[in-house]
Amino acid sequence: MVTISRYAARLALALALALTGAGITFAQEADTSAVLNLATNADPTLNPWTPGAVIESNLINTVLFDQLTRYSPEDLTPSPALAVSWTAEDEGMAWVFELRQGVQWSDGAPFTARDVAFTFNDVVLNAELGAQSASQFAPIERVEVVGDHTVRFVLNTPFSALPYYLASFAGIIPEHVLGNAENPLTVASFNKGIPVTTGPFMVEEFVPGSFVRLVPNPLHWAGQPQLAGLIFRIIPDPNTQVAQALAGQLDVVTRLSPNVIGGIEGSGRLEVLRQSQNLFFFVAPNHDDERFSDVRVKQALLLAIDRQAMIDALLDGFGEVSTGPVAPMLGALYNPDVRTYPYDPEAAGALLDEAGWALGADGVRAKDGERLVLAMPTGQFGDLVPATLLVQQYWEDIGVDADVRIMEWNAYIQEVVLNRDYEVTLAWWSMPPTADVAPYFSCAAAHTGNNIPNYCSSELDELMNAGRRALTLEEQIEAYAAMQEFLADELPYLYLWYPDILTAKNVALQGFPEITAATAFQHAVDWYVSR
Amino acid sequence: MVEYVARRLLQGAVVLFLVSLLTFFLINLAPGGPSSLVDFQTTAAEREARLRRFGLDRPVHERYVAWLAGAVRGDLGTSINQGLPVSKLLAQRIGPTLTLGLTALALAAVLGIALGLLAALHRDRWPDHVVSSISTLGMSVPNFWLGIVLIIVFAVNLGWLPASGSSSIGRGFSLADRLSHLALPASVLAFSLMPNVVRVTRAAVLEMLASDFVRTARAKGLREYVVMLKHTMRNALVPVVAMLGLIATVLFSGSVVIESVFGWAGIGRLAIEAANGRDYPVILGVTLLAGAMVVTVNLMVDLLYAVIDPRIRHD
Repeated sequence: MVTISRYAARLALALALALTGAGITFAQEADTSAVLNLATNADPTLNPWTPGAVIESNLINTVLFDQLTRYSPEDLTPSPALAVSWTAEDEGMAWVFELRQGVQWSDGAPFTARDVAFTFNDVVLNAELGAQSASQFAPIERVEVVGDHTVRFVLNTPFSALPYYLASFAGIIPEHVLGNAENPLTVASFNKGIPVTTGPFMVEEFVPGSFVRLVPNPLHWAGQPQLAGLIFRIIPDPNTQVAQALAGQLDVVTRLSPNVIGGIEGSGRLEVLRQSQNLFFFVAPNHDDERFSDVRVKQALLLAIDRQAMIDALLDGFGEVSTGPVAPMLGALYNPDVRTYPYDPEAAGALLDEAGWALGADGVRAKDGERLVLAMPTGQFGDLVPATLLVQQYWEDIGVDADVRIMEWNAYIQEVVLNRDYEVTLAWWSMPPTADVAPYFSCAAAHTGNNIPNYCSSELDELMNAGRRALTLEEQIEAYAAMQEFLADELPYLYLWYPDILTAKNVALQGFPEITAATAFQHAVDWYVSR
Repeated sequence: MVEYVARRLLQGAVVLFLVSLLTFFLINLAPGGPSSLVDFQTTAAEREARLRRFGLDRPVHERYVAWLAGAVRGDLGTSINQGLPVSKLLAQRIGPTLTLGLTALALAAVLGIALGLLAALHRDRWPDHVVSSISTLGMSVPNFWLGIVLIIVFAVNLGWLPASGSSSIGRGFSLADRLSHLALPASVLAFSLMPNVVRVTRAAVLEMLASDFVRTARAKGLREYVVMLKHTMRNALVPVVAMLGLIATVLFSGSVVIESVFGWAGIGRLAIEAANGRDYPVILGVTLLAGAMVVTVNLMVDLLYAVIDPRIRHD
């Protein structure tokens, strides 16, 4: 008897999984009159490539502007969106994408290869416009229109991760609307009004400072969404966002602070998702400074930091000590077998002794009469200031004097990030879910690009290029395993932690991929609210 | 009178010019630049291209002259971060700020004058002590804290009032809906500003009550309400109106804290977003608008003095 009912339950479960897996939901199960309320912290800019369209715009733009590829909810590999298939050609020097047939823009115009060519050739690759995150696409030489529904990305260097990067905030914009604009990135009626889009929802109303209301796009290629609409409410204060969610006026709140989790979980209406992202916090040593040419100094500085204690204190434990720039969420591409630096202040002291930095009478180490003082500017943003002060204390324990200077965020970006006027600094990088981290580590990106620590090694460049040339997953795993070993040994950055990204959502909201926020919003067409 | 107003307006224009000059050079002295041009991921090449696009590679004085030439023609420039004309942004945000500001001002004036009068009439007795306790609370409780607490009580726990925004989305206009959205932010603003009105009213009424003409009026056998309304209150109003004028200039420039906590799309939030994002044209626009508010309100207050107290004349 017990066996039979258990068997029946399993059968029912399997059936249910099979049905939902196939994207079918029972008509009576979904409330098609439901409108979801979401929060964003400032007025969004409805163009994914406009400079300054960042956190307040990313998620809404992900819903509005379909991309060539999107992340698979299972393992974050690139899966079809506006492109249905892609292959590398010319030993990785070109990628050909077959585009989906019959896709229409929200104004009824057909979507074609010319829109893709326009987005890249005229906008992203047009250096005069300075498009948002254009530097990530530096390996692209140009995009050729092969046929109405075929494009060819011609590269200047192999770029095996291109399909991953195309899934990372790389929405396609309409040539027939923006093609004649003097600057396609600053068309106000588009960016702050009603843009022409391909996504499952489209803008119906944009009230500045208050909300953006989206309705289903009846022309969407994957069919009609199962919701009556989405409202992105503009709420700058994170405490008010949480209060609104608790009051039942918000269904999804992203980027929650760990200290509000308890209240949200206790509400019964909301659940908290612990999502991941390929994101690591770091302390960057400025390699223009001779002292960091000795890797023992960097190793000592990392050994001296109790990273787990910092995660517990700053993130209430919602994070994981990082081993390098590639996060464990990347599965097979993540290499856990690298040199690690567990908290060990004594070993740190010994390494500094070995490197010639002897402890002085004043408690600060010195070498050849020069005291080990590190200028450590930090910016007022998130947890950067408290994290910097904790690192300062850990380093004081081993006789290293971090000279912390707290700056306003804009000034910090100017002086530290752009002018590289610092010796060590604590910050973070958020990257597409690929092991191709060249924009943050290559010699070409030192001093001018995103290689903040100005680290340059031809050996590392070669390891990263091997990954960019590797076209099969097996080859990539091998190439990137070697790269991660090198990065752990040589420490271009001192890796701190991978934080969890916390999102609260209404328990009734279903079909919401939990793996990353970007993935969830790329699959907004599958969202539904159970009755 | 006409000449007086014209002279004051001319002075106001000079003040606004000086304000714009000072603001323009100060904001350009600060390190950093517009956040849309220099975010964390921007490379040096991208930044240069963007600076060129927005003409920010030109010297500061050249940019100021260009800006001023536009401003006198009514063109306040285009927001760097939002891509919209500054005048349009200001027009979008002034309505909500005035609605909230006028409501809070009316609440603060009515309650403040009533409580101030009550305190003065019962000087050093228990009503005075109660009013003074309320005022102290209003002075010392931080706005943002009170706002969050009221949201938790009235929106989250009781569910009586909306937590934020100025109207329900997609339901059309309804006065009840607007008022329910106004209730919390206007109350918090009024509560924090009211103590100033209470204090000034109480002091002014006490001073009048002790004056010779009130004693004379009472000695003549006038009824108490005539003494209070005609002799005491009317004379006490001059400092109260001055205080309300001060409060109005603060309110009409937008409350940064309240507008952020209650998701109110007003000038205050525009100002803080522009300042954080180093959006030069918007910072200038908001500063000028606030300056214009101060000039106008001050002028109106001065004109109102003459109405309240005919002894004050503007020639």
